[in-house]
Amino acid sequence: MAERPEDLNLPNAVITRIIKEALPDGVNISKEARSAISRAASVFVLYATSCANNFAMKGKRKTLNASDVLSAMEELEFQRFVTPLKEALEAYRREQKGKKEASEQKKKDKDKKTDSEEQG
Amino acid sequence: MAAVVPGSGASREEEGTGGDAATPQPPAPTSAPGARLSRLPLARVKALVKADPDVTLAGQEAIFILARAAELFVETIAKDAYCCAQQGKRKTLQRRDLDNAIEAVDEFAFLEGTLD
Repeated sequence: MAERPEDLNLPNAVITRIIKEALPDGVNISKEARSAISRAASVFVLYATSCANNFAMKGKRKTLNASDVLSAMEELEFQRFVTPLKEALEAYRREQKGKKEASEQKKKDKDKKTDSEEQG
Repeated sequence: MAAVVPGSGASREEEGTGGDAATPQPPAPTSAPGARLSRLPLARVKALVKADPDVTLAGQEAIFILARAAELFVETIAKDAYCCAQQGKRKTLQRRDLDNAIEAVDEFAFLEGTLD
């Protein structure tokens, strides 16, 4: 069976959890509906990627960046996603910065340790 | 009233294409804080992005935003489909609720014909 991009499904457990949290308590979802939503999400990513890529190419860039994706959301009439996505992006950047600083600190500590070992 | 959920013994059924066939590594979350920001595994999203032949490279932030957008999309379409189920006074979302939502909502037009 040929592997189509839409077959790259996102994990069922995660999809189910997202759906359940979006819906009121006591609401269930049939396997077929969940599977269809999962596939729809994959199609969405592919579609958004293609659209974002157009923006990147317009900007003569070879690497897709966050603003390309945000532009794609507006283009695809998902403007309502833009604000929450911008907030998520800021939180993500803060987290990445924190991680980077933490690993740089670790490295500094390691270097300090090595120095003191050499001296001792 | 039609039988709502077939559920005859098949409570947990792993679909063949659902996850392990495509990628060799399991979608393990790399860090706890990351899991809060995005529940979908970035590796899987990245695989989807790379499936596009026109895409050369994608930055980490782009992948992350796509993952988050996909989550928002799932929430949105689930809620819209639920409106249809509610009208039918059902408490289980069915495939046809999804089809109705796709037909009714303009933004979902791109999905027509892709889910079969």
